[in-house]
Amino acid sequence: MSARDDDLGFAPEEDAPIPYIQRIHDYYLALGYPTPYRWAHYAEVPFQPLKKPAAGCRIALITTAAPYQPDKGDQGPGAPYNAAAKFYAVYSGDSSVEHDLRISHLAIDRAHTTAEDRNAWFPLPQLRRCAAAGLIGEVAPRFHGMPTNRSHRTTLEKDCPELLARCRADGVDAAILVAN
Amino acid sequence: MSLAARQLEENGIATLIMGCAKDIVEYCGVPRFLFSDFPLGNAAGRPKDLQSQAFSLELALKTLEAAPAARTTVQSPLRWSADPSWKLDYSNIARLPPDEIQRLRAEFDRQKEIARNIRETPARAK
Repeated sequence: MSARDDDLGFAPEEDAPIPYIQRIHDYYLALGYPTPYRWAHYAEVPFQPLKKPAAGCRIALITTAAPYQPDKGDQGPGAPYNAAAKFYAVYSGDSSVEHDLRISHLAIDRAHTTAEDRNAWFPLPQLRRCAAAGLIGEVAPRFHGMPTNRSHRTTLEKDCPELLARCRADGVDAAILVAN
Repeated sequence: MSLAARQLEENGIATLIMGCAKDIVEYCGVPRFLFSDFPLGNAAGRPKDLQSQAFSLELALKTLEAAPAARTTVQSPLRWSADPSWKLDYSNIARLPPDEIQRLRAEFDRQKEIARNIRETPARAK
């Protein structure tokens, strides 16, 4: 941007979504891993219109967070990356009660956030509030935890079908999936 | 999460992803996506900020309901900080000194081994 354009109100160049794919590619290359990670990528995308207004829908919450495991090392606010807290099978929990879920096993931005408030990544209380306010029909009886497996094949052939079966069993109309 | 959304959608369950990694989710291709331009780990709103969390979920529900077609991305208007420089830090190799890169490599190998051990231990039913 030339000096004469300074009055146009443009945002700084770096004020755009972080290019994670490029960053992570360059990062692991520099660490000494020459084979780049292959990100999931499709040309076609399915679409199922909501069959009724959200106010009539039963909605499930899906999370990559893990139940706190006291014997698995630091999972608290500000914890460094902790692979010991990972899980490799879909799990479910009762949506009507509180749950102590953590995200120390995920590659969150540890320089700029500390995972001190689970409502920032697991909005179950907010979903219940929306149900009480009539914005959705109801919260599905269970929420579900999705493993973050490096193997796309395992995700597609084992974990996704298991998640689908559980959502079907609960008769859900729609799902909110919160990524980390 | 993108793969899960796609498989649910293919089987008649409408989905919306809340996330902070715009390029990764869009590269996969998902039906509906509420993008919050926040540090990874805050896809449901700012920590300790009830208003931000309520706003984010309500925007997610509106997007779920109103998306006209696949690959609908809505970017939340909420800002993490008036100063965007936080975006320069994540996994930015240009900002890491050589000895730190060595340490990170050793740590990555160590964590990978821990994950492998858990993965290969028979899973407990939950």
